[in-house]
Amino acid sequence: MHRGVCDMNNEAALQQLVELSRREFLARGLTAAGWGSFAVVLGAGTLETVRFFFPRVLYQPPSTFRIGTPEAFLARKGEADEYGVIFVDERWKPEQRFFVVRAKDRVYALTARCAHLGCTVNWFSSLDIFKCPCHGSQYHSDGKNFAGPAPRPLDRLRITVGVSGDLVVDTSIIYSVERFEADGAFVALA
Amino acid sequence: MANSRTDKLRRGALEWITASQLYRSIFRHGYDDTVRNRALEVTSNAFLHLHPITIPHHAIKVRFTYCLGGLTFFMFLVETVTGVLLMFYYRPVTEYAYADMKTLQYAVYFGMVLRNLHRWGAHLMVVLVMLHMLRVFLTGSYRPPREFNWVLGVNLLVLTLLLSFTGYLLPWDQLAFWAVTVGTNMAAATPFFGAEGPFHGLLGVDGTNDARFLLLGDVRVGGSALLRFYVLHCVALPLVAGVLMVVHFWRVRKDGGISRPL
Amino acid sequence: MKQPGETRITSERPVAQAFGAMPTGRPGDVAVFPYLVYIEFLAALLFSIVLLVWSLTVDAPLLQEANPGVTENPAKAPWYFVGLQELLVYFDPWIAGVMIPTLIIVGLMAIPYLDTSTNAVGRYTIRERRLVISHFGFGFALWWILIFIGQFLRGPNWHIYWPWQDWSMVKSAEATLWDFPWWVGLPALIAYFGGPLFLAQKRWPWLLERLGMTRYVGAVTLALLFYGVPIKMLLRLLFNVKYVLVTQWFNV
Repeated sequence: MHRGVCDMNNEAALQQLVELSRREFLARGLTAAGWGSFAVVLGAGTLETVRFFFPRVLYQPPSTFRIGTPEAFLARKGEADEYGVIFVDERWKPEQRFFVVRAKDRVYALTARCAHLGCTVNWFSSLDIFKCPCHGSQYHSDGKNFAGPAPRPLDRLRITVGVSGDLVVDTSIIYSVERFEADGAFVALA
Repeated sequence: MANSRTDKLRRGALEWITASQLYRSIFRHGYDDTVRNRALEVTSNAFLHLHPITIPHHAIKVRFTYCLGGLTFFMFLVETVTGVLLMFYYRPVTEYAYADMKTLQYAVYFGMVLRNLHRWGAHLMVVLVMLHMLRVFLTGSYRPPREFNWVLGVNLLVLTLLLSFTGYLLPWDQLAFWAVTVGTNMAAATPFFGAEGPFHGLLGVDGTNDARFLLLGDVRVGGSALLRFYVLHCVALPLVAGVLMVVHFWRVRKDGGISRPL
Repeated sequence: MKQPGETRITSERPVAQAFGAMPTGRPGDVAVFPYLVYIEFLAALLFSIVLLVWSLTVDAPLLQEANPGVTENPAKAPWYFVGLQELLVYFDPWIAGVMIPTLIIVGLMAIPYLDTSTNAVGRYTIRERRLVISHFGFGFALWWILIFIGQFLRGPNWHIYWPWQDWSMVKSAEATLWDFPWWVGLPALIAYFGGPLFLAQKRWPWLLERLGMTRYVGAVTLALLFYGVPIKMLLRLLFNVKYVLVTQWFNV
């Protein structure tokens, strides 16, 4: 370790550095430059390879769907269950993967994507629950998880009244559990 | 004595063949059953030379190794051959993939048999590699000096499972689609690097830059996932597995040969 | 063809004796060609026949074309991952899908660095290594048992259906699950991972002596992590416990 240059405050080490011959200085510089460029090439290569797998543009299918007027949902009568849900409409599940829930005073859209691992959950009207076929997660009619491995309720999707007066669901805008109410992930019915 | 005459004829023909330039250019050893030839048959053959020339008598007992490692490698070869053949008809595009499976089944001679060989061979390979690991464990063959080869073996086990899993998506049927949806959603649960895992917020990870996206090339299983799995299945993973296998076999020789009682 | 100095193998000169004179061979060794090569050849032939007959008689499955709107019910992973899928019932995805597989792989790779004895190598030594083999055997068995449960006993909506039960029968909702409060869960976890470290040292003092501190802690921790899996499963099955510890960031 007689060539070790670590502590520049150390008088002896400084002296040693000053006394480096030109040949030694060159050799050490070249070594540093060599390893440095090796590290840079390796790092750049890794970075490029990883970045390569994340493209700039994604080609996605349309994500907004018109689901009919609020009046149409208001018109269908029924008894509310203990979670305030009157009925769960499954018409958009097969193609667009969401349910529309008609509660006492509001309509909201629940994604059919299980909060656990993304399987499509099924609605069992006779049991008044959603069940996931993959790992047996179960949710109440309002999307609240109560059994199985699901870590949180079913997510809600953005639902608004569009210019045509129809309800519009946007499946690309997802609301977290905590912000259902705050962000108004529902449409109030008169 | 007709017997001795045919015998003489046979010997003559054999000698004529083995003395020819063509034969001698391919095989660098004689035909007689001699110690020298037995050694040369192993050392001068590219495929056999991974073997030593001699081996402890107990090691060739079938009930010691049950040939499990060798059979796993054999299954890898079967998978390679049948896989390459299937590639002649299969296109990894969502519009065509499923139709090509039907073509293989109904319009191609022996297409279904080839697909069956590939599928069942893969299952067999997974079982064999697990049993091979059990055998190595039960005979204490992972103990020094063979530690590193056991590590390589574990890596090969993982690669076998990854090869099977990436191949599972390619038929693009319901079975494939949902198995892979579930499997890749687990990647989204990775701590720090998955969009739904604990602590993902610390690195600013969301659905478009997380571990699952890396696998799928999209936020859901679709065309880019099919292409990525296809390339992994047919090129990337077999190459890695091939390299590791070469090292694995080589290390069997270098780490003290096939395990033997001391 | 015979060259000077060559040894011909005849019935009077057994192979072992002939090879005993060779520099590469130990006494008792046999020639790889043909004795090993023909066994390998026969094994490959046998498996080719089995695989070919299997492929000619049973067709690989192919369901309907992939449809993101309709989830298969039940949707099962490939059989070799069904064991992990079964664990997803009991653990959050980041544990069952990421931590457990990682720990299995790391644990397997660590085995030769934790068990460094060079005794009992090269033969089946089940009686001499009861402790080590019973742990490994339990893990190996658990892997296959979970695969069996997931593959054969799980029906629609991942409910347990016995083989004689009809899948069209709808199963009712399951019991609501509950969590340990943190002042139970946290001490329980600390006791579970800390306690055995001391107890095992008291009970089997030679263990720490032989392994050294690093290996001892590593081995005991890996074993505890492993046995935690069936313990958590039992907590769920017997007492409907969902999480042992609930925190703001993750749940265990």
